Amino acid sequence: MKRERQLGIIYSAPMGLWLTIFFLIPISIIVIYSFLKKGLYGGVEWQFTLKAYQEMFNPAFLKVLWRTLWVSVVATAITLLLALPCGYAMARSRHQIFWLALIIVPFWTNSLIRIYAWIAILSSEGFINELLLSLGIIKESLSLIYNQQAVITVLVYINIPFAILPLFTTIDKFDFQLLEAARDLGATKRKAIFKVLLPSIRSGIITALIFTFIPIFGAYTTPLLVGGKDSYMIGNIIVDQVTKTRNWPLASAFSLIITLLSTLGVIWILVSGMQDKAKGVVK
Amino acid sequence: MRKLSLLLLVGITFLLTSCPKEEKVLHLYNWTYYTPEALIEQFEETYGIKVVIDYFASNEDMFAKLKAGAKGYDLVFPSQDYVEIMIHEKMVLPIDHEKIPNLTYISPLVLEKATYDPTMEWSVPYYMGAAGIAVNRKRVSDYPRDWSIFSTKKLANRMSMLDDLREVIGDALAYLGYSVNSVDKKELEEAKRLINQEWKPNLVKFDAEGFAKAFASGEFLVVQGYAEAIYEELDTELWENVDFFLPPSGGPMYLDSMVIPKGANNTEAAHLFINFIHTPEVYAQFLDRFHFPSSVNTAAAPYMTTEPFYHVEDLENYELKRDLGENLTLYNTLWETIRYNE
Repeated sequence: MKRERQLGIIYSAPMGLWLTIFFLIPISIIVIYSFLKKGLYGGVEWQFTLKAYQEMFNPAFLKVLWRTLWVSVVATAITLLLALPCGYAMARSRHQIFWLALIIVPFWTNSLIRIYAWIAILSSEGFINELLLSLGIIKESLSLIYNQQAVITVLVYINIPFAILPLFTTIDKFDFQLLEAARDLGATKRKAIFKVLLPSIRSGIITALIFTFIPIFGAYTTPLLVGGKDSYMIGNIIVDQVTKTRNWPLASAFSLIITLLSTLGVIWILVSGMQDKAKGVVK
Repeated sequence: MRKLSLLLLVGITFLLTSCPKEEKVLHLYNWTYYTPEALIEQFEETYGIKVVIDYFASNEDMFAKLKAGAKGYDLVFPSQDYVEIMIHEKMVLPIDHEKIPNLTYISPLVLEKATYDPTMEWSVPYYMGAAGIAVNRKRVSDYPRDWSIFSTKKLANRMSMLDDLREVIGDALAYLGYSVNSVDKKELEEAKRLINQEWKPNLVKFDAEGFAKAFASGEFLVVQGYAEAIYEELDTELWENVDFFLPPSGGPMYLDSMVIPKGANNTEAAHLFINFIHTPEVYAQFLDRFHFPSSVNTAAAPYMTTEPFYHVEDLENYELKRDLGENLTLYNTLWETIRYNE
């Protein structure tokens, strides 16, 4: 028995080592730095202070924080609304592999290149404007890029596979006879979807939500490249604090917020997953 | 056991001594694409020294890495503010003038501006230049050739300025007739007003990444930026469509220099390289590659085969960006209101 316990430690050692090196240590550095004094030329001085957290309450930062939340909520909502019917259609399709491939293949291209592709699509001299101009639908180029809408569009595009895939897998497991049963028992089509389908794929929806909201919340490249003069998000502030304004503690404090938020999200998934299981037992 | 450790010891000693001789390698730490490949090869052939280059994208990156204890670089190319910081932090070794006869070619005008090291005790200038304004001449006519171009309403949403606080605030300060290093609160307040009320409403964005591509595609019609980055994106036959100029009211200027960091393995080769690059014929090749004017090494001008994008005289009203130390916070706060507020 004792020997087995020892073996358990050995088996879990690689995992423990991995988490220590790539999770615990970096997170600890971020936590510690956020409570230190900023060094004059970047870095930190070993002196405890809460200044970084006080600085966060700067109205300019709060505005960016608010904007980040707003953009993230809108982009996540659009992503989910688009991903749900996609996932549903895929689950019911006979060509699942084909659709899966269509979703996965774009991943083979670097996301930076895909963002530049969007610049080529959306810009004043880009594909959409050229097309509309040549068809005579518009007289002057529309401003489709360097604004909040462009940021949201590209964020949705980049993150939608992360929503479709979990939704697809849960819907795929759903027993569609339940829908028929609901219809037989007098439910309308809409009622059957909202009362039977959606509650059953709840865990998939939450996973999709978390998988899209967290990366969008920490977005950096998209607002930088397709955003306008007022599209900054928290991710951009963090980079600026490290590379331009030499305020590492503030950067750490912001990172910590993003990390905490992500952790809360993951806890939410776990808890709701457990609740689902508990419900299943009661039934 | 003892035999084994003895064997190991011998083995390690053998391994260590069989490493290539140290004098034969020169480790450079330079800006990305800042020293033409051809010149590096020329240096390697002439002196039989292998050159290994590591790149950085910003002074902050470079400084953080050296400060964190990176060793083994023989020659680093920081900008003026970081040269000043590195001298102040005692991170660099003195330059031995005896070993660099070509120092005589360094323009006294440049050294006059480099007030932190006017006698090249610690650093040797590499290149001095400034960001300017590029205008798409085919699509824009009748515009002021000054910073006030950014106040032009009819160009609204087709112009960009650099995403760089020292550059943008510096331009505004210079335009108002103040020093680009001003720490006077009233002057900075005026600069902020100029940027936020006159310039920013007409800008599509502050951009340091994609502006040159957007300018090349015709999306942006007026951009503030570095000439070499802007022209690099354009085919040479399109160059005539570009009007690049440095506004005469002046602005911030940079001076990249070569320093030998403490911990350098091969100071001898570092000196050789500095002397090599400042040979007028060689330096002219560097300038030709980027269409730079011969600001630092004036003796190179006759050997140049290209017309530079701007001229040394254009830099007359330009001022080096100095390190602001604690006062950088003033600029940061200002930049936050420009950059983060709607």
